Amino acid sequence: MTETLIAANNLTKTFGEGETEIYALRNVNLEIKRGDFAAIVGPSGSGKTTLLNILCGLDKLSSGDIQVSGRSLKEMNGSELSRFRLEHIGLVFQAYNLIPVLTVLENIEYVMLLQKVPAEERRKRVQNFLAKLGLEGKEDRFPAELSGGQQQRVAIARAMVSHPDIILADEPTANLDSEKGGQLLEMMKQFNKELSMTFVFSTHDPQIMEQAKRIVTLSDGQIVKDESRK
Amino acid sequence: MLWKLAWRNLWRNRTRTVLTALVIAVGLVAMVFTDTMFEGMNTNMVKNATDSLMGHAQMNALGFRDEQNVTLTINDIDQSLAHLEEHPHLSALSMRVVTQSMLSSSAGTEPVLSLGIDPKEEHRLSKFDEAIIEGEYLDSASGRNMILGSKLSEKLELHPGERLVLTSVDAASGEMTQELFRLSGIFKTGEDKMDESMVVVPRKTLQQMLKLEGKVHQIAMRFSQLTKDGVPLIPLAELHESSGNELLLWTELMPSLYMMTQMTDLSMAIMGVILFLIISLGITNTLLMGLYERLFEFGVIKSIGTTPWQTARLMVYEAICLGFFSVIVGLALSAVSTSMFASYGIDYIGIEISGVTLQEKIYPSLEWSRLVFYPFLSIGFTIIASVYPACKLFYMLPIDALRKRKL
Repeated sequence: MTETLIAANNLTKTFGEGETEIYALRNVNLEIKRGDFAAIVGPSGSGKTTLLNILCGLDKLSSGDIQVSGRSLKEMNGSELSRFRLEHIGLVFQAYNLIPVLTVLENIEYVMLLQKVPAEERRKRVQNFLAKLGLEGKEDRFPAELSGGQQQRVAIARAMVSHPDIILADEPTANLDSEKGGQLLEMMKQFNKELSMTFVFSTHDPQIMEQAKRIVTLSDGQIVKDESRK
Repeated sequence: MLWKLAWRNLWRNRTRTVLTALVIAVGLVAMVFTDTMFEGMNTNMVKNATDSLMGHAQMNALGFRDEQNVTLTINDIDQSLAHLEEHPHLSALSMRVVTQSMLSSSAGTEPVLSLGIDPKEEHRLSKFDEAIIEGEYLDSASGRNMILGSKLSEKLELHPGERLVLTSVDAASGEMTQELFRLSGIFKTGEDKMDESMVVVPRKTLQQMLKLEGKVHQIAMRFSQLTKDGVPLIPLAELHESSGNELLLWTELMPSLYMMTQMTDLSMAIMGVILFLIISLGITNTLLMGLYERLFEFGVIKSIGTTPWQTARLMVYEAICLGFFSVIVGLALSAVSTSMFASYGIDYIGIEISGVTLQEKIYPSLEWSRLVFYPFLSIGFTIIASVYPACKLFYMLPIDALRKRKL
C-alpha cells in the first residue's frame, strides 16, 4: 500500500468577512501519496495556489485539518511549521525566487545548511544536482546572471537537494517557453521515476497535464475531479 | 550562511548603507573626539592648577585655610616633614609662610596675599620663575627682594628696582609690622587672582617680619607618580588627629575642579546615550526600509524552512555587520580628527574654568579603553536598533510576505 504523505480533510479557506467573505477553498479532501506526480488544475481563481500554500503550512486554514506523519499542521507554531517545510517540503515558485545575493551553489546549499547537512555531503549533493540539471560551471554565478530556465532549474535543485518527501510547485513552467518548460518537466518526471520523489504542481500548462499521473481539478475552491492515469 | 547573507544584503543598496554607516561613524567620531578633548581639558586644568601654586597636596595647621590666621602655623614641623618625606613618590616640597598684608608704593596701597618662599624649593613646585616677564626671580630665601603680579604692578605703577613697604600683623604680639622690599621682578601667571593680589618674598625675611622664625603655614608638595586623576599613585599616609595639622590633596583643596573632572564621565555617558538613541532611530528606519523592500524575499526565505528566529537573527546580523563597518570607518575618522587636533590643539588659553585659567592649548587625551567602549556602544545601539525590524520579521507570516511581491 502506498504511503500517504499528506492528508487534507475538509479544507476550507475564506478571505474577508461577512458580506465580503469569499471562499477560496470549500471542503477540500485530498491525499498526497508517495510517488505522486500530480497536477492541480483549474481556471484562475479556482484555489490552486491557495491549496498548495495550505498544504505546506504557509497559509492558515479557516477550517478542516491537514495531517502530516500523524500530526496536524494546525497544532504547529511558526517554528514548527518552518521545521516541517524544511524537512518534508520542497517549494518551487512560479517566479523562481532565488536569493539574489547568493550564488547558484549557495542557493542550492542554503536549505541543507539549515538542515545541518555536513559540508562534504552538501558539496556532493550539489554537484550531483548541478550535473543532472545541466548547471555545471555555473556554481559561482548569481541568479541575475542566469536565464529564466536556468534560474528555475536552480530553484528545482534547491527544492530537491534536501531530499524532501514532496515537491510543491506553483506553476513552475509559467515563466518559461514551451521548450524549456518541456525540458524541466522531463527532468522532474525523471526524478519522480528514479528517486520516487513526489511532485504536486498547480498548473495551466497542457504539457504538465499531459504528463501528470494524477490530475486534480479545482473549480470555485472545490475539487470537481480527481483522476489517476497510468 | 546567515552571516554571509546578512553581509551581502547590506551591500545591495550601497549608497544607503554607506550613508547609514557614516551617520554611525560620525556619532562615534563625535563621542571619541569630545571625550578626548574633555580628557585633554581636564588634564590641562588639573596640570594648570597643580603646577601653579597649589601642588598635588598641601599640609596646613587645622583651621588655617578657613581663618588665614597668622598664628596658625604647622605643628611640629620636623615630624611633619619626616612624615611627608616617607612617601616614595614625593618629588618636591615647598614650605611657605602665607599672610594677608598691605603693600604700599608711592602710587598707593593695595591689600595683598604675601607668600614667603625659598626660591630653590619653590622652583621645583610652582612656575613663578618661568612666569617672570620683567626683572628677575628671587635669588635666596633671605634678603629684601620681592616679586609680584603684573596687574598689581600696573595698579601700583611699579617697575623692577623700586622700593615697597609690606605691612602685616606679627604673630607674636598681633601688632602691625612693616618691612621694606625692593621689587626684583614682575610675574604673569595668567591667573587673575595671583596676578592682581600676590606678592612673593624670601621666606626667612617674612618669618622674621612676622616673628615666625622656623615656622611655616603651608607645605605644598608634588609627586612623581600620579593616577590618571592627578592624585598620588600611592595614597598619602593619614595624619594623626592629634598632630593639629591637615594634609589635603588638590581634589579637596579645589573640590569644584575635581567635581568637574569627575562629572565628565557622566556627562559623556548621558551625551552618548542621547546621541546614539537618535542614531538608533535612523538605523531602525534604514533597516525597516530594507525589510520592506525585501519583504517578498524574506517570505521566500521563511517559506523554504528558515525559522522565525533565524530570520530575525538575519536582521540582527545585518545590523551587526553595519555596526562593525561603521565602527571601522568611525575609528579611522576618529584617528584622523584626534591626531589632527593632537598636532594643533585648541586655543583656549586665558579662559577660566572652575577657577582655573587655562595656560596651555587643549590637546586631546586618549584613553585606550574608550576606543573599546565607544565602538561597543555604537554596535550595541545598532543591535538595539535592529530589534524592532527583527521582531517584525519574526512575527511576519511568510504567506503575507509572499503576497507583497512587486508586480
